[in-house]
Amino acid sequence: MKTYIARRLLALLPVALVVATVAFVLMHLAPGDPASVIAGPDASADDVKRISRQLGLDAPLPMQLVRWYGRLIQGDLGQSIFLRKPVTEAIVDRVEPTLLLTLFATLISVALGVPAGVISARHHNTATDQVFMVAALVGVSIPNFLLGLLFILCFSVWLGWFPVAGYSPLEYGYLKTLRSLVMPAFALGIVQSALIARVVRSSMLDVLREQFITAGRAKGLAERAVIYKHALKNAMIPTVTIIGISFAILISGAVVVEQVFNIPGLGRLIISAVLRRDYPVIQGVVLCIAGLYMLINLLVDLSYVVFDPRVRYQ
Amino acid sequence: MRRTSAVLSAALTLALLLAAGAMVSATAQEQQPRMGGVLKAAMIGEPPTLDLHTTTAVIVQQITWHIYETLYTYDKSFNAIPLLVDSHTVGDKGRTYTFKLRRGVKFHNGKEMTSADVVASLSRWGRLATPGRQFWKNVEGIEAKDPATVVLYLKDTSGALLMGLARPNNGAVIYPKEIVDAAGDNPVKEFIGTGPYRFVEHKPDRHVKLARFKEYAARSEAPNGFGGRRTAYLDEILFIPVPDVAVRLAGVETGDYEYSQQLQQDQYDRVKAMPGVVPVIIKPAGWTTAVLNHKQGLMADKRIRQAFQAALDMEPIMAAGFGNKAFYRVDPGLSFPEQPQWHSKAGGELYNQKNAARAKKLLQEASYSGQPVRWITTKEYQWMFKNALVAKQQLEAVGFKIDLQVVDWATLVQRRNKPEAFDVFSTGITFNPEPAFATSTACNWPGWWCHEDKEQWMAAMARETDPKKRKAMWDKVQQIFYEDVGRVKFGDYFSLEAIRKDVHGWQAQGELPLWNVWLGK
Repeated sequence: MKTYIARRLLALLPVALVVATVAFVLMHLAPGDPASVIAGPDASADDVKRISRQLGLDAPLPMQLVRWYGRLIQGDLGQSIFLRKPVTEAIVDRVEPTLLLTLFATLISVALGVPAGVISARHHNTATDQVFMVAALVGVSIPNFLLGLLFILCFSVWLGWFPVAGYSPLEYGYLKTLRSLVMPAFALGIVQSALIARVVRSSMLDVLREQFITAGRAKGLAERAVIYKHALKNAMIPTVTIIGISFAILISGAVVVEQVFNIPGLGRLIISAVLRRDYPVIQGVVLCIAGLYMLINLLVDLSYVVFDPRVRYQ
Repeated sequence: MRRTSAVLSAALTLALLLAAGAMVSATAQEQQPRMGGVLKAAMIGEPPTLDLHTTTAVIVQQITWHIYETLYTYDKSFNAIPLLVDSHTVGDKGRTYTFKLRRGVKFHNGKEMTSADVVASLSRWGRLATPGRQFWKNVEGIEAKDPATVVLYLKDTSGALLMGLARPNNGAVIYPKEIVDAAGDNPVKEFIGTGPYRFVEHKPDRHVKLARFKEYAARSEAPNGFGGRRTAYLDEILFIPVPDVAVRLAGVETGDYEYSQQLQQDQYDRVKAMPGVVPVIIKPAGWTTAVLNHKQGLMADKRIRQAFQAALDMEPIMAAGFGNKAFYRVDPGLSFPEQPQWHSKAGGELYNQKNAARAKKLLQEASYSGQPVRWITTKEYQWMFKNALVAKQQLEAVGFKIDLQVVDWATLVQRRNKPEAFDVFSTGITFNPEPAFATSTACNWPGWWCHEDKEQWMAAMARETDPKKRKAMWDKVQQIFYEDVGRVKFGDYFSLEAIRKDVHGWQAQGELPLWNVWLGK
């Protein structure tokens, strides 16, 4: 097990290298540059060139790439062009809202999705099943930014229950943070819950057709025990996989919702970095998110051991 | 009976008088500015820097001009009036300006402003700022005579000197000398000025926070435009980046923000109907334009440019861009009708021609055979895209082939610096009180509209000090603008903003002056 984990962690390195290179090359090949953004719309070409030189962006691309590798080896993601601070610090500053938002949204998606999937499977092909699945279809189809804007209209403008946008950091009190995250978390979570519900339902249906379920029922187990103790546990592997993926999707999907709700998280960081071509920040955030994806995948794989004792890693 | 009525009328009169008195005092109370409160301003985005010398980005000016101040500023008719300067004298036949600085003006770090700070800041502005560099070509030298006196030696007379020093955008703001020295040509690291509000913190994507500067040395004159007495009534100002326009609107409706900028003009009727919200129209905000590439490619041919100009019908182009008629105007002036000292109709017969026959004829003369015209535009400013879309249709109707390339703003501003990369690009020319600094006619700006006569008139106008003669020269420039098709002006546009009802002392200006603004809660 330990060697397996060590091997998986080692495998992160080449992936990180590829991601770092691709992020660098793609961003620098894309048109646009930070110097013209700093100089503003009325600036002349000479002014833009001067700023570009100050930023070290006039060096040839391969040279810049080598510099970027050199810094990476030392664990340095570089200095943000616009934020006047190291990229690592900028990322750490933004982790709190994104992480809380993602956790909250995952919680909502699991709390809504898993029971909906189980109920649908249990009442397979009945009106209940159809209602849940139509709701799930609608949920999957609504873009989360639209849901977010509808929430703002309904719960902020009409009812006045929540602030329209913005984030209150934990240091100002947990309740305030929670309040500022309710609408964005639901906007994110509802869409994901629909996905989870569909996966839970289909894997539950598979399991419910297995012989051990028939055997359980035959020996007189209560239906509740059959469903929750035996069937659900066996349906957990695809479910955990989808929850893991969905957590990763939520972290990166938070980009849009953070923009709508004005939450200063990783998503906002990367959007403003892309719009202003803040290269070091884009590369740093992409690298971090890729690393996070790989870690979540590893955790999901490891969790299989818990749900299915037959799974062994060597 | 008569007595009763006399008593009654006396009582009535008394009651009326009392009521009137009460009303007067209520109004007086209402109009009595009060100190305190935090104004939350929903801005369209993040400032790319807080060093005003290095950028022409409007949002940087809107935020930082509460922190930094210039030697001069504009009065309500957009003439230059002193701000950090007490008075000035002109000598050597208009080539030497001696400025007496105001005494007792303190920076936010407690130091008193002196001529050393002014010399260091103006020299840096002349080196780094886009208008500064243009302006500094005419500067022979600058000298700190004594702590309160600065002398500026010019190579030639200048009619635009004070207006240049008053300019807010990319303005000649005064930083402490030690901050200028520490930064050199790199961005300044500390944000210290003499303004009514001081910089507190910048948390990117969260806010820029300013707080009242208690030791602010206000001028004694009554407020006049951007000048006169500036009072910081608010405890704090928070500039919050809210990129989504729907959220900016919802936020001012719920009272989360006291001010929201750049709302969609087609939402005007909705904003008017919102309780607790007052719509503000910034008139004029600027004019929209297609900038043609004079240096290289198809548009280097004057006849093709003239065909482009002749084909267009501005009304539908502007209507598509701005929706509501209250927010645009079809007018040929390079300066706005709101600037009577500069507004001109010269060359107006060549504007908004809607003359398809003439356009076709000109294209034929130029032997244009359907080569694609590369037009870069962006949806980041919806009106740019919509203007371009309607114009494309009209141009294709006369035989042009338009290759509309929709990119993000950062790409547009980079590509437009490369003469080989485009034929036309979309942009807006923002309100500018002094034509000598107009981007609309600049030769070293993308589009590279350099025209011998025009350059001569522009240079003469910069030198000339008689306002009447300067106006006549500006008329000439505008005439050439239309004859040579310097750029293609579509029309004037106004922008929509909204404030809460309890915000008082508001000036509907694109520059966003927040001193003398107070909250009535």
